[in-house]
Amino acid sequence: MEAVRLGMESIKSSPEVVHSVISFEDVDYSHPNGTIALRKVNFNIARSELVTILGANGAGKSTLVRHINGLLKPTHGSVRVFGQDTKLSTPAFLSRKVGIVFQNPNNQLFAQSVTKEIEFALKNFGFSDELLKKRVDWALDTFSLREYAERSPMELSGGEKKRLCFALVLSWDPEILILDEPTVGQDSEQKEKLDQIIRVLISQKKNVIVVTHDVEFVWPLQPRTILMSNGEILADGSSQDVLSDEMMLKRASVISPQLVDFAKKMDWSRPYPIDTGEAERRILS
Amino acid sequence: MQWIASGFLFVRGNTVYHRLDPRVRLSITLSIFTVSLLSHSIILLLLLVSMILAIVYVAKTFHRFARSMILTAAISLVAFGLNYYLKPTAPHDAIVFGVRLFAVISSTSLFFLTTTPDELEQVMKWLRLPHDFVMIFVIAIRFVPVLMLDALQIMDAQRSRGLEFDKGNFARRLKNSIPIIVPLIAVALNRSLDLAEAMDSRAYGATKRPTSLYGPVLSNTDYAVVTVVAVGLILGIYVSIFVSLA
Repeated sequence: MEAVRLGMESIKSSPEVVHSVISFEDVDYSHPNGTIALRKVNFNIARSELVTILGANGAGKSTLVRHINGLLKPTHGSVRVFGQDTKLSTPAFLSRKVGIVFQNPNNQLFAQSVTKEIEFALKNFGFSDELLKKRVDWALDTFSLREYAERSPMELSGGEKKRLCFALVLSWDPEILILDEPTVGQDSEQKEKLDQIIRVLISQKKNVIVVTHDVEFVWPLQPRTILMSNGEILADGSSQDVLSDEMMLKRASVISPQLVDFAKKMDWSRPYPIDTGEAERRILS
Repeated sequence: MQWIASGFLFVRGNTVYHRLDPRVRLSITLSIFTVSLLSHSIILLLLLVSMILAIVYVAKTFHRFARSMILTAAISLVAFGLNYYLKPTAPHDAIVFGVRLFAVISSTSLFFLTTTPDELEQVMKWLRLPHDFVMIFVIAIRFVPVLMLDALQIMDAQRSRGLEFDKGNFARRLKNSIPIIVPLIAVALNRSLDLAEAMDSRAYGATKRPTSLYGPVLSNTDYAVVTVVAVGLILGIYVSIFVSLA
């Protein structure tokens, strides 16, 4: 199925190809049991772009991002990260530039203390002792983990564990940050903090990819939106275009953001309001 | 490793063999098991292995069986090698030991490959094993694929933190497995606690010995197969003890 590209040029003719940090070309992927997980996936991501990958469970979102740090290699086609073909590289090498925060913190934590947990990846990447200490201190302070520094990660609450997972990935300062279902099990305060972290990273010219089915979380961020279903990209474009296309959202089993529904009922023209404050101003004007 | 491990997991099938009552399938496995342990004849042991292969063919599970047998064949070869090394004057004994080990493990693997946890529960209840023990055993088997999936996700997470499992010497590799084993145990413990709470909330233990709505019923085919198996078992025991074969 041909992906519908909303507001984007064809990949091959796009000048973004030259500057893209991530490039998927005709990528197919089949699991070892023969299940096809990705079909003819094509897209490029430019420097400091914020991208969200949306789709129902089993759409292929997590499989797709696992190709970016080389955990999975395409069955057909190629994936390039900073020009490097992932087939010719190892996850250990690619992960230095591509950090993934996985959905379930319990799948990652094993060390005796929070400090040692953060040190683990830094040691694997060969950071010097001096730099390692600096990065650990930065992570503990930035993510308010200082008071837990010597405690076992297993003793932390769900929210604190999630925060630790952000800290341990951001500690090595990857160029690309991938967040796999970051809002699952998070309260509104944590979601607010996560929103702020993403905005800061984008302002620092980092790439952030958010894999989620939480449209309400990504709508205020207005990222480029890739909509997936059955291993295929159904749509790829701005949030305003993709998340207001009812037919496409229905095909991907994704519901549109409440503000889009509200704006449509009010018969407002685009761009639709990205938060309640903007909607309020529009009502009052 | 996952490829080999999946060879020990059950798959639902609809062949003549799968349709047999699980107790009949257990009787086949136990018969092969018993004769393998009693027999000291290479010919008889090879005949038992051929029977297992024939059943695997009928049950259409050859690919999965072959996976589990890679490890078994390696273990059997090591057993043969060790026996031959310790007693070079008795190569016959070494061969018997290797083939016997293969027959015993492969017959067990055949049973677990073709028996769902539900069927296993039926068999264990029929054997009048304690209810709690049956539940623990069946839940443990049911969770093997889930734990395998957990292990793969944990491996992905740690590789994304720069861990390289296949680098370094044996001691280094052993150390590298700690970031996999610790979260796997933690996840398994958490899951077991959640499951225990969920089971308590659904009144587990309110009845000491719950009865089943549908009990297993033997068909005419089952009776016929059991008769053949019984005759085969008696014959196998007789040949193993009283007949001298090569």
